[in-house]
Amino acid sequence: MTSLKRSLGPDPYASNVSSKVYVRSTRSGKVQKIVRELYLRQDIPCSSQLCRSCLATAPRDASGILVPFVLSAQPAGTKTYPQGHYIVPDTNALLNALDAFEQTSAFYDVIILQTVLEELRNRSLPLYNRLVGLTKSEEKRFYVFFNDFRLETYVVRENGESINDRNDRAVRKAVEWYARHLTQAVKAAGGKVKKVPAVVMISDDKENLIKAKKDGIDACSLQEYVNGLENADQLLDMVSAAKEWRETQHAKVAENLYQEYFSVSKMMTGVKNGTLHQGIFNVSPYNYLEGSIHVPAFDKSLLILGRESINRAVQGDVVVVEVLPKDQWKEPSTKIIEEETMNKDENADAEEGEAVITEKERRALQEEVKKVHSKSTEGRPQPTARVVGVVKRNWRQYVGHIDESSVSQTAKQSRKQQTVFLIPMDKRIPKIRVRTRQAGEIMGKRVLVTIDSWDRDSRYPAGHFVRSLGEMETKGAETEALLLEYDVQYRPFPKAVLDCLPKEGHEWIVPPSMDDPGWRGRRDLRGLQICSIDPVGCQDIDDALHARPLPNGNYEVGVHIADVSHFVKPNNAMDTEASIRGTTVYLVDKRIDMLPMLLGTDLCSLKPYVERYAFSALWEITPNADIVKSEFTKSVIKSREAFSYEQAQIRVDDPSQKDELTNAMRTLMMLSKKFKQKRMDAGALSLSSPEVRVEMESETSDPIDVKTKKHLDTMSLVEEFMLLANTSVAAKIYEAFPQTAMLRRHGAPPKTNFEELANQLKVKRGIDLRVSSSKELADSLDRCIDPKEPFFNTLVRIMATRCMMSAEYFCSGTQAYPEFRHYGLASEIYTHFTSPIRRYADLVAHRQLAAAIDYEPLDASVRSKGKLEAVCKNINVRHRNAQQAGRASIEYYVGQALKGRVVEEEGYAMKVFSNGFVVFVPRFGIESLIRLRDLAEPEPESAFDAENYILTTSGSRDVKVELFDKVVVRISDVKEESTGKRKVKFELVKVVGSK
Amino acid sequence: MPLDTASYSLALLRLDGRRWNELRRLTAQISTQAAADGSSYLEMGNTKVICTVSGPTEPKGTGGSRSGGDNAEVRVEISIAGFSGVDRKKRSRNDKRVSEMAMTIANTFTNTLFINLYPHSTITLSLHVLSQDGSLLAALLNASTLALVDAGIPMRDYICSCTAGSTSSYSSNDEAADPLLDLNSTEEQELPFLTVATLGATDDVSALVMETRVQIGRLEGMLAVGVDGCKQVREILDGVVRARGKKILKDSGS
Repeated sequence: MTSLKRSLGPDPYASNVSSKVYVRSTRSGKVQKIVRELYLRQDIPCSSQLCRSCLATAPRDASGILVPFVLSAQPAGTKTYPQGHYIVPDTNALLNALDAFEQTSAFYDVIILQTVLEELRNRSLPLYNRLVGLTKSEEKRFYVFFNDFRLETYVVRENGESINDRNDRAVRKAVEWYARHLTQAVKAAGGKVKKVPAVVMISDDKENLIKAKKDGIDACSLQEYVNGLENADQLLDMVSAAKEWRETQHAKVAENLYQEYFSVSKMMTGVKNGTLHQGIFNVSPYNYLEGSIHVPAFDKSLLILGRESINRAVQGDVVVVEVLPKDQWKEPSTKIIEEETMNKDENADAEEGEAVITEKERRALQEEVKKVHSKSTEGRPQPTARVVGVVKRNWRQYVGHIDESSVSQTAKQSRKQQTVFLIPMDKRIPKIRVRTRQAGEIMGKRVLVTIDSWDRDSRYPAGHFVRSLGEMETKGAETEALLLEYDVQYRPFPKAVLDCLPKEGHEWIVPPSMDDPGWRGRRDLRGLQICSIDPVGCQDIDDALHARPLPNGNYEVGVHIADVSHFVKPNNAMDTEASIRGTTVYLVDKRIDMLPMLLGTDLCSLKPYVERYAFSALWEITPNADIVKSEFTKSVIKSREAFSYEQAQIRVDDPSQKDELTNAMRTLMMLSKKFKQKRMDAGALSLSSPEVRVEMESETSDPIDVKTKKHLDTMSLVEEFMLLANTSVAAKIYEAFPQTAMLRRHGAPPKTNFEELANQLKVKRGIDLRVSSSKELADSLDRCIDPKEPFFNTLVRIMATRCMMSAEYFCSGTQAYPEFRHYGLASEIYTHFTSPIRRYADLVAHRQLAAAIDYEPLDASVRSKGKLEAVCKNINVRHRNAQQAGRASIEYYVGQALKGRVVEEEGYAMKVFSNGFVVFVPRFGIESLIRLRDLAEPEPESAFDAENYILTTSGSRDVKVELFDKVVVRISDVKEESTGKRKVKFELVKVVGSK
Repeated sequence: MPLDTASYSLALLRLDGRRWNELRRLTAQISTQAAADGSSYLEMGNTKVICTVSGPTEPKGTGGSRSGGDNAEVRVEISIAGFSGVDRKKRSRNDKRVSEMAMTIANTFTNTLFINLYPHSTITLSLHVLSQDGSLLAALLNASTLALVDAGIPMRDYICSCTAGSTSSYSSNDEAADPLLDLNSTEEQELPFLTVATLGATDDVSALVMETRVQIGRLEGMLAVGVDGCKQVREILDGVVRARGKKILKDSGS
């Protein structure tokens, strides 16, 4: 008999193989036990430039390249460690103060232990990613030491030891090893032991510190450490208040203001069996106490009313909610509730005696409830829910300003740490409680903060100060604030990106010899009469056009798009940067480019009189605007002229101009009108959004006036052909890559979106808004006319636009073909192709089209569905942010332009609440709220007829405002206390009425 | 959630602490079951398999059309224990993946064994998977080699096998990706990999299986590392066989 026994003796690995056993639960709730091998080794280097012995055994990658050692031989010293020191933070130190670690003024030569990195990844993925980014930056000298793989520093979890204790022990052991190892290394090199840098563990865990002291390890808390640095005050603010907070509060008997969240498993099972619902939490822009959440189980959004129900959810968080019993359902409020007016004089430091809901808030809500009850049978209450847990926080960095009233007078000068409120620019975000020592300094400035935590016993979230952007209302600070708030990447392009540019720089030209590889597969279209039509002063010219009659009576029409994909190759640094930026952002006075200037405004831009590479779409079109055939080719073109819309319009309208270029434009104009008609017949919507232009003084670029944009025929000329090009390209790339084509869709809006508008139109004007298809909607929008009020139609269109879904990029494999539809354009399939200089989606479409016409093979990155989906997700967000940033910028400048002026303008009531109404002024494209208390002093009595949208006031002032009423308002500018933005303020002069 | 394969670039260390060109612990024994004609037990890390060989024997059943040839037929049966993976899973008898592995093994050995010496007969390899942690096909091939040696069936040389992968996934398209040797199951799930088997210490590839997508440029490096790994595997297998031989000599001499 032979028995199977593992012979441990001769096994060369025996001493250094271990295994790691852990239990994890999968998404579906199953529990798995995972066993992993662990190979312990002795060749993991310490990465200190002081050490020679590690250098000998340091690992090399497959091409034999050695990873350079990171930690400096002469690290910086502090008061406590004059000989220099390496920092070893533990997990909670990083969690509390990663912002501080990212500073350039301190925190160099940091050793990140594997144990810490893993723990951090479990706790917070964004922080983990930031830390990994830090370890890759060369100047900060962060080194990841894989202590769990090194034989000497590996620690086995003992019986009864908690995982946290084990990890703390692992950290201490690694620190100990480092200290010993460095001493040996210095000795071996013949250095003095006194010169050996200290290895300092930084931890916020008291017990860990005590144990470290006992083991004779250099250790200190984050606070102690930062205190020993030069710019302690600034850094101390970044050290999250979280820990201290908890300590002080434990002293008092903490009173829990909010309900506890459900456990993860309880939430998961609840969501699974349908008793709970998961979705993204949105706060109403008019009422900070009202949120809504859209969940698949309900057509209508669920309502979440009141601070208790919102239960610490912040705008954008993924939350789990529980629907309340039907008798607690409420109606969305018809009242404007703003945080700053409700809780003006709170003291940020005061902890005791604060209830979740202040008395004023309670009263405001009570009135709401009453109203719902009085309506009884009519019963329009919406399903109402409360938040029972947060799945994923969407906390980011917030821009705001310090609430001056929360800063105590004495503390303004002193360096004493105090708690202040930060009021975010985004009204949907609650006030953030920030502890700072520099309250005096950062007052009146735009500051950036992050939220650290929101405990049950705290009314407001706690955060910490990151940095100051500058004085409020200075152009620099406001622009930066805007960019940060909309997460626009505005830093200059890094060197790696600029290295991808052609070496010739501005000297680059289309190679004169047609044998040059650049000419491969390109058609020579230099002979065509091509021109571009763009807004005045446009530098990044994406598109150019031509048209010429063919002998058979048809026309040849070409749309030529800048060949950006020739210069931006997939997966290089420039491509990566562009895919992160996603789009160029246009602000009133500034443009944040997606691609470096050299490409955007010169080499790619289809400037006149020079030869440029292009990607051309050519069609043969009959005089009735039917397409006979279409083809796509890479080409070389030479634009004859760059027109502005106005110039082009003048030329087309001037009968004396008979040259070829003008005639071509007339042809294009004629065809475009026919195309437009066809689209309209198919049910394309003509929507409206207020568009204004801010005129600047040319030298100081101070805003001087606001003009509404004029619409010219030449604009729709360009638009029509761009639509044509986009649709043709979409069909082509979908045919070539049915799974991975980059397309754009616009979902049909759910009917419920239009309910309110339809009801309003019916009640106020007796007009029936039919929304079953885009065609019906387009037709019924056309019927929304008030003969006495020409603007009424536009107003309705603006309001209808707000009911629409937003269009989105997607990868064709993720949707069924019928879902591809572009609702607004009434097109079956659509993509973006025509602006590759300023949109990343277009660049992807270019690459796919190039592959579809066999110009070049398709790169792997645009062939993988997963990768494309990630790209789509990012550019959808970027696109939306860019639009919002652009609008916010206009809003800011409109405010600046009106600064110090008072004008009276006509406007229209767009929304009526029980205590105010929203007026839209088309002249400036702005809308603003007029509250009852703005009407007169004291606040007039009011009666609100919600059924008929009529607000009547009496007492100090008698006014009757109906929805869609024309009103005259006095516009002045005022600095809004809550957000610190300069905003226009409307005062009601009179109601003109509509009937 | 421990780190994932993306952390390789931080310190050139894999998830289990190995470098790119290191095998896992590979141990094996032969003649583990006295009743079988040949048997072996092999561990590659946490992948553990048993192989028994029966044959050459007369073909089972009567008048099978396939077994009547001039050469012996190599038949392979693989059974994967329900407890071998992370989740308890019952595999059906004709699981496509398993039959494909069996097919690969049968083809490989049909070309390596001197089957012409045993006409009208069958050699049956029964493989049992006790525990899975990646490189399963490679482990099965190696265990089969040992069991066939134990059974004394003549062959040209050892079939040695291992897997090779690449440190970043297909879609990340990272040009600086290192090749990897001997992947465990976590790596197999995340990274592109191939299984290669060579004939002894030569560069002759006798089996090559790849089911994941990878940039063509990375393939050469992966294959080179894989073949190199096979040579290391051969040393280990050879050591096991020699140790066994010495023991037999010692036992018979006494």
